[in-house]
Amino acid sequence: MRGQDDKPAGLSRRGLFLGAAALGGTIATAGQAAETGKVAPDAMPDPDQRRYAFYGTGPQAGIATPPQQHLMAMAFDLTGTDPRALQVLLARWSASIGLMMEGQPVGPAEPDRDTATALETGEALGLGPAGLTVTVGLGPRVFSKEMGLAAKAPPHLRPLADLPSDALRPEISGGDLSLQACVDDPQVAYHAVRILARIAKRTGAATVRWTQLGFGRASAGAGQETPRNLFGYRDGTRNITTPDQFAQHVWANDGPDWQHGGTYQVMRRIEMHIENWDNAQVSHQNDVFGRHKLTGAPLTGENEFDTPDFKAKNAQGESVIPTHAHIRLSAHETNDGIRILRRGYNFTGGLNAVGRLDAGLFFISYQNDPAHFEALQRRLGASDLLNEYISHTGSGLFWVPPAAPKGSYIGAPLFAGV
Amino acid sequence: MNMSSRARRRAVPLLAATAFFAQPALADAPTNNGAAQVAITLTGDNGGACVLDHDSAAAGPITFTVTNESAPAISELELLSDSRILGEKENLAPGLPASSFTVTLDGGDYRIYCPGAAEDTVAFTVTGESKQRAQSAIGDLLDEGTAGYANYVEGMVGAMVTASERLAAKVDEGDVEGAKEAYAQARPFYERIEPDVEGFVLPGTDPTDNSGNLDYLIDMRASNLDPAVGWHGFHAVERDLFEKGEITDETKAYAAELVKNVKMLADLSGGIEYRPEDLANGAAALLEEVQSGKISGEEEAYSHIDLVDFAANIEGAHQAFAFLEPGLKRIDPDVAETIAQRFADVQTMLEDYRDPDALGGYKIYDAELRKSDAVKLSRAIQMLQEPLSRIAEKVATAS
Repeated sequence: MRGQDDKPAGLSRRGLFLGAAALGGTIATAGQAAETGKVAPDAMPDPDQRRYAFYGTGPQAGIATPPQQHLMAMAFDLTGTDPRALQVLLARWSASIGLMMEGQPVGPAEPDRDTATALETGEALGLGPAGLTVTVGLGPRVFSKEMGLAAKAPPHLRPLADLPSDALRPEISGGDLSLQACVDDPQVAYHAVRILARIAKRTGAATVRWTQLGFGRASAGAGQETPRNLFGYRDGTRNITTPDQFAQHVWANDGPDWQHGGTYQVMRRIEMHIENWDNAQVSHQNDVFGRHKLTGAPLTGENEFDTPDFKAKNAQGESVIPTHAHIRLSAHETNDGIRILRRGYNFTGGLNAVGRLDAGLFFISYQNDPAHFEALQRRLGASDLLNEYISHTGSGLFWVPPAAPKGSYIGAPLFAGV
Repeated sequence: MNMSSRARRRAVPLLAATAFFAQPALADAPTNNGAAQVAITLTGDNGGACVLDHDSAAAGPITFTVTNESAPAISELELLSDSRILGEKENLAPGLPASSFTVTLDGGDYRIYCPGAAEDTVAFTVTGESKQRAQSAIGDLLDEGTAGYANYVEGMVGAMVTASERLAAKVDEGDVEGAKEAYAQARPFYERIEPDVEGFVLPGTDPTDNSGNLDYLIDMRASNLDPAVGWHGFHAVERDLFEKGEITDETKAYAAELVKNVKMLADLSGGIEYRPEDLANGAAALLEEVQSGKISGEEEAYSHIDLVDFAANIEGAHQAFAFLEPGLKRIDPDVAETIAQRFADVQTMLEDYRDPDALGGYKIYDAELRKSDAVKLSRAIQMLQEPLSRIAEKVATAS
């Protein structure tokens, strides 16, 4: 039921890939043929024992798999330009992630020798895999000339463009490597990222740049009830869910074969000005989003999943969904059909420097070209009514390679012939 | 190495004559480029296995080539003689190219240890005697290192006595500026060797009572003040010189007591013998000191010469490592090189903070510099701490 091992033999690479894409919509069905990140969550009686396969073909887990409750994200800087150091790091990360996604420790927590230090820190012992997925991303500098990997670069990977209303802080932006650990028990994700950060230091390949803890999922996967962001609104009602949508909008298959099943990951730390928002009239809040708070229905509809009617006018001849409402500016109907997969999490960091709640949305999106995110955000950043209540303070762009088959590691084809 | 193992080894083919051809692993490993070649494969089968293509070789240079085919739980492998590590390979993971290490072994019984495998120990036998210096001589290299380090510590303790006497002399003269300089010059000696000399108590006192604890009496600070025992030592003098800006009779008493206690420490610490793991643990402890006391700006709360102490902690750790390095290079050249490189990185970083005009030769670590640079400093130390914390196990003489 789980794991790449159960995959029917004899499938071609293309066949497998299409199979993976087909997962996008129906991930939670029990007993389906195994694929990367594929599992039958509902068939597992104990949520702590829910697990996803790390090894396989097709995309990495943590993208099309249903969003878990909690997030721990971390970005790293490479310490040098030696591709071998990166190679060792990716291989050791992959081996450890594979163990942790199975709920296994990465080594003895209490080694036999008195003089030993332990890599395994112990805080997740006995907690089970808790649905852990760890998704590894590679930033633009990985493919620099200095690293000798420029020839392996995915076609669209580069630093994100400067976008309107950006208020980015360099210390929580950028990075050469990303980890997205999602899980149903936050201690399991914390453990995973902590261990992987230690491995980065042990190998000497990378150093921690920034980290973000997310406490509640703010996007729905297929079959999940649409969750709410900290503004109180349903987020992700029109998210990508079906295999066709994943194939069309998420998986980036325009590079060489080994890159197929990869995708581009955008991370944005969007701070919410919570106190101001809370003191805004709800009718104004509804206008900002273009939806009703309680039901999630568009202002032109009755139910959450009603298609918004962007042409509808009221008696005064004004648009029912205002010209600068969030859902209008971000809708695929008004953006040449552009769609992205949102997989974000709510976050809080206590109080900010001026004593207000430090909270917001840690936005994560996946798309087959980062220009798609840029096009949407260029529009939103310029005139979204929401801008009055938010600031984009952190940003990162990473390419997420496809999964690794057993006996290999994520990104292995990068190092062939290097 | 010893007669009994060779005698036992000779008996094996006779006892196992029929099985001999059925189990080619019993043959001595073939030789190539002057070294016997042993291939080790790590597989995920049966809970993780560590499989040798030959389980014996003739004495002399032996190259072990390790491939992790499919064992995510196995990331390192060691060659052991009794409980001593003679050679090691870290950072093994499925999919990486094969990596190898070469050791020169005398006849005897050895073990390949693959932590994480279901059966984590595999026997390996070497026959005959090596014409070259065998790997067991690592012990001699490490012993030379510990003896050299003992001399280093003794030198530091002696210099600390002289420097604290100079400080006391300036204090006695009532020369605040001169005393500040003497303070900054005296500090590094203790900071280079602190883990080696912090365990001593005044003869006849209770080890749990700070009034007899020499480390407390010499190096206590505001953040670990024991109100029952009060202020003493370096930081009591520092507080008067840098915060109050004056020398009182109390300051003079602090300085005189400091000299007395440093001399006592010199007496008590003379002739200590170190084991290799003591050097490794001491170096790791000095890096902990950097993280917990210097980067936070806690150690030199009044003079803000924390970066002077920082540099001294690093120098002390580097010395301890350097004395282990010749032995460690033969056990695990990769890790020896990694750590040497990380020390070089930290030294390079510290160059940016040198200031010949500042007290002690490094920039004053004030709130502003701490705010802008603490993260960078801490990260560089973390990168050194992780690999360094592992070498005690590699060089340990005790099991």
